[in-house]
Amino acid sequence: MANSQAVISLYDEPMWESIRAHDWQLQQCDDCSEFRYPPAANCPHCLSMDYHWKPLKGRGTILSWVIYHRQYFDNFPPPYNVVAVQLDEGPIVMSNLVGPEPEGNWVGHKVEICYGEDVAIGTVPKMRLIPQSS
Amino acid sequence: MAIVKSLSKVAAVIGIGESDYVGDHARVRAGERPHDSYGYAAIAFNKALKDAGIERDDIDGLIVGPTIAYERMGELLGINPTWGSQADAMLSVIEACMAIQTGMAEVVALVYGNDQRSAAIQYGGPEAMGGNMFLSYIYHAPWGFTSQGALYAMMFQRFMALTGCTEAQLGEVAVAQRLHASLNPHALMKKLITIEDYMASRYICEPLHLFDYCLINDGGVALIITSADYAKRNAKKKPVLIHGVGRYDANKGATSLEPRLLDFYRPAQERCAEQMFNMAGLGPKDIDAVQIYDSFSCHVPLALEGYGYCATGDVGRFMAEEGISLKGKLPVNTGGGHLSETYMQGWNHQVEAVRQVRGEGLGRQVENCRFVHYNSDVAGKAVSIIYGS
Repeated sequence: MANSQAVISLYDEPMWESIRAHDWQLQQCDDCSEFRYPPAANCPHCLSMDYHWKPLKGRGTILSWVIYHRQYFDNFPPPYNVVAVQLDEGPIVMSNLVGPEPEGNWVGHKVEICYGEDVAIGTVPKMRLIPQSS
Repeated sequence: MAIVKSLSKVAAVIGIGESDYVGDHARVRAGERPHDSYGYAAIAFNKALKDAGIERDDIDGLIVGPTIAYERMGELLGINPTWGSQADAMLSVIEACMAIQTGMAEVVALVYGNDQRSAAIQYGGPEAMGGNMFLSYIYHAPWGFTSQGALYAMMFQRFMALTGCTEAQLGEVAVAQRLHASLNPHALMKKLITIEDYMASRYICEPLHLFDYCLINDGGVALIITSADYAKRNAKKKPVLIHGVGRYDANKGATSLEPRLLDFYRPAQERCAEQMFNMAGLGPKDIDAVQIYDSFSCHVPLALEGYGYCATGDVGRFMAEEGISLKGKLPVNTGGGHLSETYMQGWNHQVEAVRQVRGEGLGRQVENCRFVHYNSDVAGKAVSIIYGS
């Protein structure tokens, strides 16, 4: 086995720099304003090549979740969760829910971005529940 | 649509061949390596030629299925074709029809081999297969999200949350296919299981259990597809015609799993179904058995809704009450599928479809089987074929 690794294309590098600064940014299209994920040269929505990096507001909604019971990576001993989160900006990202977990159904719960440290990758964005009252 | 329509009944399967899944699996588990991928493919090709009743030199088209290389396979089989290609199981059937329709070839051999078990191929983790083709297989590794099973677990968890389908209802897939496998001499897993066994089995990536995952084994498959005219004149057995095909790829948002999580691939399946059923002049009610690419059990319920075999949101009840086994309303994966027969990446489903239409299904034969529908949704690539007499 081995540790998990990030896929780092030309366009991923600035994103991971922003993550290390605890200020996760994604590319926003200059022409149609769509956010894109994963990072890429062009906007898949309107094909524009023009973009800027924009910090995420840091909130999203859980679309689904899984619990791993089998180990695939040294740095991920089971059990651990993975959540699919739709960011308020639109893109869907995978992450891990840290802290308290919902009872029963996780779908629809609101989450916010926080940051964790991984032995192999360094700083990685994670999610935590936003208390229902806030 | 007019061009697509013209592919109906243009081509027929006249030969099928498979390696000895059961014998080879026993040898691999004992630590042997009986053949490499090319060896398994050559065994299957020889059997398919014999089944068709034709000679190697009758072949003028060649399609080779990944993971093996086109040129080397053609070299080993001694075939210099007038047309050739490299494609997976489902697309190679469609490409063969297209080559025949355009006159590029008349007698096409489709060959596939895979030594994935003896070569210890990994479908998750640091050496995950397929990342060069599908970025979603590797992109989310920083969060421990790996293996194709996990992608389907994520998809089906949401499906259950939105529709009320349950794990026990999903278990109907593994239970039905194991029953079919118990009646299939080519199947690896023949011990019957119950819903209770399924629920008691361990989770791999929750909500998916061990029995929701496909086997990993060695083997090879070959098909001989010819023009309908050639088939009528030369085939040893009853030709099995290809009545309709469909394809629609959900690429938009694929890496961030948008088409999986927001749509369950439904629009792709609906478009694919419309094209295929229109081409064939048939509908879901005309289909006697369905073969569904089942790397994971949850492909089955998603496809049953997507292709119109039951109402939207009703598949859990449909599987549990109306039934998807040979004893039920709509037999699905009658050979045992990837879960219990053999994991030949869709190729074994084509063989099973042909056997059912021919009436060679032995103890698992579907009565009066006229039309068999095959479909797959590998990473949102919806492909669909109707075989019939």
